[in-house]
Amino acid sequence: MDSLNIPGTGRTPTVAFDFATGHLRMSGESYPDDVATFFGPVFTALRAYLAESVLIPIQFDMELLYFNSSSAKVLMNIFQMLESVARVGRPVSVIWCYEDSDESMRELGEDFSEDLHHVAFSLRNVPVGSIG
Amino acid sequence: MLAQQYAAIKRDLDDKGIVFSFCGYLSEGILYSLGEALREKMTLADTDAPTVRRVFAVFVEQMQNIIRYSAEKVTGATTRAVELSAGMVTIGMERNTVFIVCGNTVRNDDVPRLRERLDHLRSLDREGIKTYYREQLREEPEDGSRGATIGLIEIARRASEPIDYDFDTMDDERSFFCLKVRI
Repeated sequence: MDSLNIPGTGRTPTVAFDFATGHLRMSGESYPDDVATFFGPVFTALRAYLAESVLIPIQFDMELLYFNSSSAKVLMNIFQMLESVARVGRPVSVIWCYEDSDESMRELGEDFSEDLHHVAFSLRNVPVGSIG
Repeated sequence: MLAQQYAAIKRDLDDKGIVFSFCGYLSEGILYSLGEALREKMTLADTDAPTVRRVFAVFVEQMQNIIRYSAEKVTGATTRAVELSAGMVTIGMERNTVFIVCGNTVRNDDVPRLRERLDHLRSLDREGIKTYYREQLREEPEDGSRGATIGLIEIARRASEPIDYDFDTMDDERSFFCLKVRI
Protein backbone atom coordinates (compact mmCIF):
# COMPACT_ATOMS: atom_id res chain seq x y z
CA MET A 1 0.00 0.00 0.00
CA ASP A 2 1.30 3.48 -0.89
CA SER A 3 2.65 5.62 1.87
CA LEU A 4 0.68 8.65 3.02
CA ASN A 5 2.54 11.94 3.24
CA ILE A 6 0.82 15.19 4.16
CA PRO A 7 3.11 18.18 4.73
CA GLY A 8 2.43 20.11 7.92
CA THR A 9 1.04 23.64 8.07
CA GLY A 10 0.86 26.13 10.93
CA ARG A 11 -2.23 24.39 12.26
CA THR A 12 -2.17 20.87 10.83
CA PRO A 13 0.41 18.20 11.58
CA THR A 14 2.86 16.54 9.24
CA VAL A 15 1.59 13.05 8.54
CA ALA A 16 4.20 10.56 7.37
CA PHE A 17 2.84 7.01 7.18
CA ASP A 18 5.36 4.65 5.62
CA PHE A 19 3.13 1.61 5.34
CA ALA A 20 5.79 -0.63 3.82
CA THR A 21 8.03 -0.40 6.89
CA GLY A 22 5.23 0.09 9.45
CA HIS A 23 6.71 3.38 10.55
CA LEU A 24 3.99 5.99 11.11
CA ARG A 25 4.58 9.51 12.35
CA MET A 26 2.56 12.61 13.13
CA SER A 27 4.33 15.78 14.18
CA GLY A 28 3.71 19.47 14.77
CA GLU A 29 0.53 21.32 15.65
CA SER A 30 -3.04 20.14 15.33
CA TYR A 31 -5.97 22.54 15.48
CA PRO A 32 -7.44 22.29 11.99
CA ASP A 33 -10.35 24.57 11.08
CA ASP A 34 -12.27 21.42 10.25
CA VAL A 35 -11.06 18.28 11.97
CA ALA A 36 -13.18 15.94 9.83
CA THR A 37 -11.87 17.34 6.54
CA PHE A 38 -8.25 17.13 7.60
CA PHE A 39 -8.30 13.74 9.31
CA GLY A 40 -10.77 12.04 6.94
CA PRO A 41 -8.06 10.88 4.46
CA VAL A 42 -5.78 9.93 7.36
CA PHE A 43 -8.45 7.61 8.77
CA THR A 44 -9.28 6.15 5.38
CA ALA A 45 -5.63 5.24 4.75
CA LEU A 46 -5.01 3.94 8.25
CA ARG A 47 -8.19 1.85 8.28
CA ALA A 48 -7.26 0.24 4.95
CA TYR A 49 -3.72 -0.45 6.18
CA LEU A 50 -4.87 -2.02 9.44
CA ALA A 51 -7.32 -4.23 7.56
CA GLU A 52 -4.53 -5.79 5.48
CA SER A 53 -3.53 -9.27 6.42
CA VAL A 54 0.22 -8.54 6.55
CA LEU A 55 1.32 -8.26 10.11
CA ILE A 56 4.26 -5.88 9.82
CA PRO A 57 4.98 -4.47 13.28
CA ILE A 58 3.87 -0.86 13.64
CA GLN A 59 5.79 1.91 15.29
CA PHE A 60 3.78 5.10 15.67
CA ASP A 61 5.74 8.22 16.63
CA MET A 62 3.49 10.90 18.01
CA GLU A 63 5.43 14.16 18.03
CA LEU A 64 2.79 16.79 18.62
CA LEU A 65 3.58 20.16 20.12
CA TYR A 66 -0.02 21.18 20.56
CA PHE A 67 -3.45 19.75 19.72
CA ASN A 68 -6.89 21.11 20.49
CA SER A 69 -9.72 19.18 22.09
CA SER A 70 -11.31 18.14 18.78
CA SER A 71 -7.97 16.68 17.70
CA ALA A 72 -7.77 14.86 21.05
CA LYS A 73 -10.92 12.96 20.08
CA VAL A 74 -9.29 12.01 16.78
CA LEU A 75 -6.14 10.78 18.53
CA MET A 76 -8.30 8.67 20.82
CA ASN A 77 -9.91 7.06 17.76
CA ILE A 78 -6.51 6.35 16.22
CA PHE A 79 -5.30 4.73 19.43
CA GLN A 80 -8.45 2.62 19.66
CA MET A 81 -7.86 1.38 16.11
CA LEU A 82 -4.26 0.52 16.95
CA GLU A 83 -5.33 -1.23 20.16
CA SER A 84 -7.78 -3.43 18.30
CA VAL A 85 -5.13 -4.76 15.89
CA ALA A 86 -2.63 -5.17 18.73
CA ARG A 87 -5.24 -7.18 20.64
CA VAL A 88 -5.33 -9.75 17.85
CA GLY A 89 -1.58 -10.11 17.70
CA ARG A 90 -0.05 -7.38 15.58
CA PRO A 91 2.91 -5.79 17.39
CA VAL A 92 2.22 -2.08 17.85
CA SER A 93 4.32 0.45 19.70
CA VAL A 94 3.47 4.10 20.25
CA ILE A 95 6.11 6.60 21.24
CA TRP A 96 4.62 9.74 22.68
CA CYS A 97 7.16 12.57 22.52
CA TYR A 98 6.92 15.68 24.64
CA GLU A 99 9.30 18.58 25.00
CA ASP A 100 11.20 19.30 28.19
CA SER A 101 9.03 21.32 30.58
CA ASP A 102 5.83 20.43 28.75
CA GLU A 103 4.11 18.71 31.64
CA SER A 104 0.66 19.03 30.06
CA MET A 105 1.77 17.11 26.98
CA ARG A 106 3.22 14.37 29.18
CA GLU A 107 -0.03 14.19 31.17
CA LEU A 108 -2.08 13.98 27.97
CA GLY A 109 0.10 11.07 26.88
CA GLU A 110 -0.70 9.35 30.17
CA ASP A 111 -4.41 9.96 29.59
CA PHE A 112 -4.27 8.18 26.25
CA SER A 113 -2.10 5.34 27.50
CA GLU A 114 -4.69 4.34 30.12
CA ASP A 115 -6.84 2.39 27.68
CA LEU A 116 -3.96 0.76 25.85
CA HIS A 117 -3.28 -2.74 27.09
CA HIS A 118 -1.87 -4.42 24.00
CA VAL A 119 -0.14 -1.44 22.43
CA ALA A 120 3.33 -0.85 23.88
CA PHE A 121 3.09 2.80 24.87
CA SER A 122 6.09 4.83 25.95
CA LEU A 123 6.68 8.45 26.81
CA ARG A 124 9.79 10.12 25.50
CA ASN A 125 11.16 13.39 26.77
CA VAL A 126 12.91 15.34 24.00
CA PRO A 127 14.85 18.64 24.01
CA VAL A 128 12.91 21.83 23.18
CA GLY A 129 12.96 22.54 19.44
CA SER A 130 13.73 19.01 18.32
CA ILE A 131 10.24 18.15 17.07
CA GLY A 132 7.66 19.93 14.96
CA MET B 1 -14.58 64.32 20.14
CA LEU B 2 -13.64 61.30 18.03
CA ALA B 3 -10.33 60.73 19.77
CA GLN B 4 -11.95 61.36 23.13
CA GLN B 5 -14.61 58.72 22.59
CA TYR B 6 -12.16 56.08 21.51
CA ALA B 7 -9.62 57.06 24.15
CA ALA B 8 -12.37 56.37 26.68
CA ILE B 9 -12.83 52.86 25.31
CA LYS B 10 -9.06 52.33 25.37
CA ARG B 11 -8.84 53.66 28.95
CA ASP B 12 -11.60 51.35 30.04
CA LEU B 13 -9.69 48.37 28.61
CA ASP B 14 -6.43 49.59 30.20
CA ASP B 15 -8.15 49.96 33.58
CA LYS B 16 -9.25 46.33 33.41
CA GLY B 17 -5.67 45.26 32.59
CA ILE B 18 -6.68 44.18 29.10
CA VAL B 19 -3.78 44.09 26.65
CA PHE B 20 -5.44 42.34 23.79
CA SER B 21 -9.03 42.51 22.62
CA PHE B 22 -11.09 41.58 19.65
CA CYS B 23 -14.79 42.20 19.20
CA GLY B 24 -16.70 41.37 16.07
CA TYR B 25 -17.12 38.53 13.63
CA LEU B 26 -14.72 35.68 14.23
CA SER B 27 -13.69 32.97 11.84
CA GLU B 28 -11.17 30.15 11.85
CA GLY B 29 -8.83 32.38 9.79
CA ILE B 30 -9.01 35.14 12.40
CA LEU B 31 -8.46 32.61 15.17
CA TYR B 32 -5.28 31.47 13.44
CA SER B 33 -3.88 34.96 12.86
CA LEU B 34 -4.72 36.25 16.33
CA GLY B 35 -3.38 33.09 17.92
CA GLU B 36 -0.04 33.42 16.14
CA ALA B 37 0.22 37.11 17.12
CA LEU B 38 -0.61 36.20 20.70
CA ARG B 39 2.06 33.50 20.88
CA GLU B 40 4.68 35.75 19.30
CA LYS B 41 3.84 38.63 21.61
CA MET B 42 4.02 36.45 24.73
CA THR B 43 7.29 34.86 23.62
CA LEU B 44 8.83 38.28 22.94
CA ALA B 45 7.69 39.41 26.39
CA ASP B 46 9.66 36.48 27.89
CA THR B 47 6.55 34.72 29.17
CA ASP B 48 7.57 31.24 30.30
CA ALA B 49 6.86 28.45 27.81
CA PRO B 50 4.26 26.55 29.91
CA THR B 51 2.22 29.76 30.39
CA VAL B 52 2.36 30.53 26.66
CA ARG B 53 1.10 27.01 25.93
CA ARG B 54 -1.72 27.25 28.48
CA VAL B 55 -2.88 30.69 27.33
CA PHE B 56 -2.78 29.56 23.71
CA ALA B 57 -4.72 26.36 24.41
CA VAL B 58 -7.46 28.22 26.31
CA PHE B 59 -7.58 30.89 23.61
CA VAL B 60 -8.12 28.29 20.85
CA GLU B 61 -10.90 26.48 22.74
CA GLN B 62 -12.68 29.71 23.64
CA MET B 63 -12.46 31.05 20.08
CA GLN B 64 -13.73 27.75 18.66
CA ASN B 65 -16.61 27.77 21.14
CA ILE B 66 -17.63 31.19 19.87
CA ILE B 67 -17.22 30.20 16.22
CA ARG B 68 -19.33 27.09 16.71
CA TYR B 69 -21.91 28.19 19.25
CA SER B 70 -22.43 31.94 19.00
CA ALA B 71 -26.13 32.57 18.46
CA GLU B 72 -25.20 35.47 16.22
CA LYS B 73 -23.66 34.15 13.07
CA VAL B 74 -23.71 34.31 9.31
CA THR B 75 -23.01 31.22 7.26
CA GLY B 76 -22.81 30.63 3.59
CA ALA B 77 -20.87 28.92 0.88
CA THR B 78 -19.13 30.86 -1.84
CA THR B 79 -16.06 29.02 -3.04
CA ARG B 80 -15.80 27.40 0.38
CA ALA B 81 -18.02 27.20 3.44
CA VAL B 82 -17.93 30.31 5.59
CA GLU B 83 -18.84 30.53 9.23
CA LEU B 84 -18.62 33.96 10.83
CA SER B 85 -19.71 34.22 14.43
CA ALA B 86 -19.97 37.33 16.52
CA GLY B 87 -18.24 37.48 19.84
CA MET B 88 -15.45 39.05 21.81
CA VAL B 89 -12.22 37.85 23.33
CA THR B 90 -9.95 39.78 25.65
CA ILE B 91 -6.69 38.88 27.33
CA GLY B 92 -5.18 40.79 30.21
CA MET B 93 -3.15 40.75 33.40
CA GLU B 94 -4.56 40.93 36.90
CA ARG B 95 -2.40 40.56 40.03
CA ASN B 96 0.38 38.94 37.94
CA THR B 97 -2.01 36.40 36.47
CA VAL B 98 -3.01 36.22 32.83
CA PHE B 99 -6.76 36.03 32.26
CA ILE B 100 -8.81 35.39 29.16
CA VAL B 101 -12.43 36.46 28.90
CA CYS B 102 -14.64 35.55 26.01
CA GLY B 103 -18.19 36.63 25.41
CA ASN B 104 -20.89 35.78 22.93
CA THR B 105 -24.62 35.67 22.47
CA VAL B 106 -26.36 32.40 23.28
CA ARG B 107 -29.97 31.28 22.96
CA ASN B 108 -31.86 31.34 26.23
CA ASP B 109 -32.90 27.71 25.62
CA ASP B 110 -29.24 26.70 25.79
CA VAL B 111 -28.51 28.53 29.05
CA PRO B 112 -29.62 25.82 31.53
CA ARG B 113 -27.53 23.10 29.88
CA LEU B 114 -24.47 25.33 29.64
CA ARG B 115 -24.88 26.46 33.24
CA GLU B 116 -25.14 22.86 34.39
CA ARG B 117 -21.91 21.89 32.58
CA LEU B 118 -20.01 24.87 33.92
CA ASP B 119 -21.23 24.36 37.49
CA HIS B 120 -20.18 20.74 37.30
CA LEU B 121 -16.70 21.76 36.13
CA ARG B 122 -16.48 24.37 38.88
CA SER B 123 -17.26 21.73 41.50
CA LEU B 124 -14.33 19.53 40.48
CA ASP B 125 -10.79 19.73 41.81
CA ARG B 126 -7.71 19.22 39.61
CA GLU B 127 -7.84 15.42 39.79
CA GLY B 128 -11.58 15.43 39.17
CA ILE B 129 -11.12 17.53 36.04
CA LYS B 130 -8.46 15.13 34.77
CA THR B 131 -10.70 12.13 35.33
CA TYR B 132 -13.64 13.88 33.66
CA TYR B 133 -11.42 14.70 30.66
CA ARG B 134 -10.39 11.06 30.34
CA GLU B 135 -14.03 9.96 30.46
CA GLN B 136 -15.19 12.48 27.87
CA LEU B 137 -12.36 11.57 25.52
CA ARG B 138 -14.02 8.19 25.14
CA GLU B 139 -17.58 9.52 24.77
CA GLU B 140 -19.33 10.15 21.47
CA PRO B 141 -20.22 13.87 21.19
CA GLU B 142 -23.76 14.81 22.20
CA ASP B 143 -26.16 15.86 19.45
CA GLY B 144 -25.43 19.35 18.19
CA SER B 145 -22.51 19.76 20.54
CA ARG B 146 -19.58 19.41 18.09
CA GLY B 147 -17.35 18.59 21.03
CA ALA B 148 -18.30 21.41 23.39
CA THR B 149 -17.97 19.38 26.57
CA ILE B 150 -14.39 18.28 26.02
CA GLY B 151 -13.52 21.85 24.96
CA LEU B 152 -14.78 23.26 28.25
CA ILE B 153 -12.95 20.57 30.23
CA GLU B 154 -9.76 21.39 28.33
CA ILE B 155 -10.24 25.04 29.35
CA ALA B 156 -10.81 24.13 33.01
CA ARG B 157 -7.82 21.84 32.95
CA ARG B 158 -5.46 24.59 31.80
CA ALA B 159 -6.83 27.15 34.27
CA SER B 160 -5.16 27.84 37.61
CA GLU B 161 -8.45 28.68 39.38
CA PRO B 162 -12.05 27.54 38.90
CA ILE B 163 -13.51 29.14 35.79
CA ASP B 164 -15.91 32.07 36.20
CA TYR B 165 -18.98 32.53 34.09
CA ASP B 166 -22.03 34.77 33.89
CA PHE B 167 -25.11 35.37 31.79
CA ASP B 168 -26.82 38.66 31.05
CA THR B 169 -30.33 38.37 29.63
CA MET B 170 -30.69 40.50 26.49
CA ASP B 171 -34.27 39.74 25.51
CA ASP B 172 -36.78 36.86 25.42
CA GLU B 173 -34.57 34.83 23.15
CA ARG B 174 -30.98 35.68 23.85
CA SER B 175 -28.45 36.20 26.61
CA PHE B 176 -24.89 37.42 26.64
CA PHE B 177 -22.58 34.71 27.96
CA CYS B 178 -19.18 35.45 29.48
CA LEU B 179 -16.46 33.04 30.53
CA LYS B 180 -13.37 34.13 32.47
CA VAL B 181 -10.36 31.88 32.81
CA ARG B 182 -7.26 32.61 34.88
CA ILE B 183 -4.07 30.91 33.79
